[in-house]
Amino acid sequence: MAELQKYVDLTVEIITSDGRVIVGLLKGFDQTINVILSNCHERIYSETEGVERMNLGLYIIRGDNIVLIGELDQARDDSIDLSEIRAAPINDISRR
Amino acid sequence: MLPLSLLNTAQGHPMLVELKNGETFNGHLVNCDNWMNLTLREVIQTSPEGNRFWRLPECYIRGNTIKYLRVPDEIIEMVKEDAVRQRQATGGGGRGRGGSRSGGGGNSGRGEVFDVIFNISYYDY
Repeated sequence: MAELQKYVDLTVEIITSDGRVIVGLLKGFDQTINVILSNCHERIYSETEGVERMNLGLYIIRGDNIVLIGELDQARDDSIDLSEIRAAPINDISRR
Repeated sequence: MLPLSLLNTAQGHPMLVELKNGETFNGHLVNCDNWMNLTLREVIQTSPEGNRFWRLPECYIRGNTIKYLRVPDEIIEMVKEDAVRQRQATGGGGRGRGGSRSGGGGNSGRGEVFDVIFNISYYDY
């Protein structure tokens, strides 16, 4: 759990069990991996269009739904033109 | 910063709650607890498909059904202010408390027990 501490105040990408990709500044977390993301946005991937970016603001995401938290390399991310990216969205695994 | 302290600070403010089943609840946070159970007032409930709406004067949401909460941006600054206020309220933080604890807490405890025994015997005779 202490491993997450080093991501605090860095930009992270979170994938949730409903297949959403949310990028934002990690401001805090707790034992159950509930997290605070400030200034966050969702990246909506599509096979036919570029990535749509949706601003979300300040979020508390409940740990139950979190599949992955990864540090985002800001420089590399900035070098990617998201409008050129075509990718299938991630499937929802939250409902069986 | 802890997610639940942020939530505590958000009391009285509007927020959006999405549940794991996709339903969303828009309302003012009245109360919350350590399990993320919430009560909201003046609520607009939306179906997972987003095509049906209900107005509820108040609702209670069990914490473990929540997917995420969207809170106003300014709340994050208010958490910091709350923390400062709490530190001031406890009289300068840990040093004072630590001092009183290390100042023979065990002894004074035993002393109190003796006092009680003494008082009982005093009243007996």
